[in-house]
Amino acid sequence: MGFGDLKSSSGLKVLNDFLLDRSYIEGFVPSQADVAVFDVLSTPPPADLCHALRWYNHIKSYHNQKSSLPGVKKPLGQYGPPGVADTTSSAPAASKDDEDDDDIDLFGSDEEEDSEATKLKEQRLAEYAAKKAKKPTLIAKSSLLLDVKPWDDETDMAKLEECVRSIEMDGLVWGQSKLVPVGYGIKKLQISCVVEDDKVGTDILEEKITAFEDHVQSMDVAAFNKI
Amino acid sequence: MALRELASLEKYLGLKKPNKYSTQGDKKIPVLQNNSPPLVGLVTIACHLVKESNHQELLGDTADSRAVVQQWLEYRLTRLDIYTKEDIKTVLKDLNLYLQDKVFLAGNHVTLADILIYYGLHPIIVDLAVQEKEEYVNVTRWFDHIQHHPGIRHHLPPVVVLRNRIYTSRHR
Repeated sequence: MGFGDLKSSSGLKVLNDFLLDRSYIEGFVPSQADVAVFDVLSTPPPADLCHALRWYNHIKSYHNQKSSLPGVKKPLGQYGPPGVADTTSSAPAASKDDEDDDDIDLFGSDEEEDSEATKLKEQRLAEYAAKKAKKPTLIAKSSLLLDVKPWDDETDMAKLEECVRSIEMDGLVWGQSKLVPVGYGIKKLQISCVVEDDKVGTDILEEKITAFEDHVQSMDVAAFNKI
Repeated sequence: MALRELASLEKYLGLKKPNKYSTQGDKKIPVLQNNSPPLVGLVTIACHLVKESNHQELLGDTADSRAVVQQWLEYRLTRLDIYTKEDIKTVLKDLNLYLQDKVFLAGNHVTLADILIYYGLHPIIVDLAVQEKEEYVNVTRWFDHIQHHPGIRHHLPPVVVLRNRIYTSRHR
């Protein structure tokens, strides 16, 4: 998730596209999600990105209620279309640290060389990350339907679902769930999720789910579809 | 239809005592019986209900937005309640253009204009194909937004809006 580099026009384009059929970043009311993204933009988006501009002007009108909007502010990478990383740069912080080092140090010349090398490295890394972020559409995803079976009918299914949903992995998004009766009063939890094939494998997922030994007896993949 | 809209509006406004209504004429124009003399007309009754319930902001909070609200209420009566196929396209195009840079029809919050246009548009949107919904992307966005607003969508079934755009070439 994320919009790419929101300080550049490519990130703003991703934002514009995202807001084409949404009034707010998350849900249907203004929330801290909107505040988080709004704060990153230092100027209004240009007029040709009409959806981003519309959203910007609308959120601006809430600026004196900013702190009372619902929700919790999450890091920028949590919002936006899936598959796009957040690369909004925070370069000013890095250069400040370098200056402090130079002042105190005795072996001045060595430190300078090192700091230059690290600066160059960081710059190259940022470029590479930006390039990577511009290829969002090639990520392969699959939609899985998992069957999680409890030990017996006295297992707390709500707790079981909580445990399963608490598994957080990069590239894993939990979807809907329902309880399906199996017999003798036992219900299994059928929960769907969307995974990125490169990042999450079904065996890893199975390991993590069956790790909750108190609640989970076993787990099966009921359906596996490529998206 | 109009009576159900008024009943839903009453619920949204939190009015405790439901009012007595009847209809007049073959066009089924709603009549509010409580008053003397009885009040006739959907928009008239709706505005009266809003004022009764102390939700003045639903009519607009500045002089400008009040005028815009009235403009859309008039639009509802003249363009949406009597329409032919060609008219529908014009209406949708107008709305799509208007909503390009606005989140709500008037100002920055829900107003009576949004509510009544939503009720009036609902039968049209329900019949739109997915392709058309994506063509009028701003109308669809606004419609989805309003139908999720707490308390508005009482008697109407929700219209499903797909998140993944299928026809991507139309609205770049």
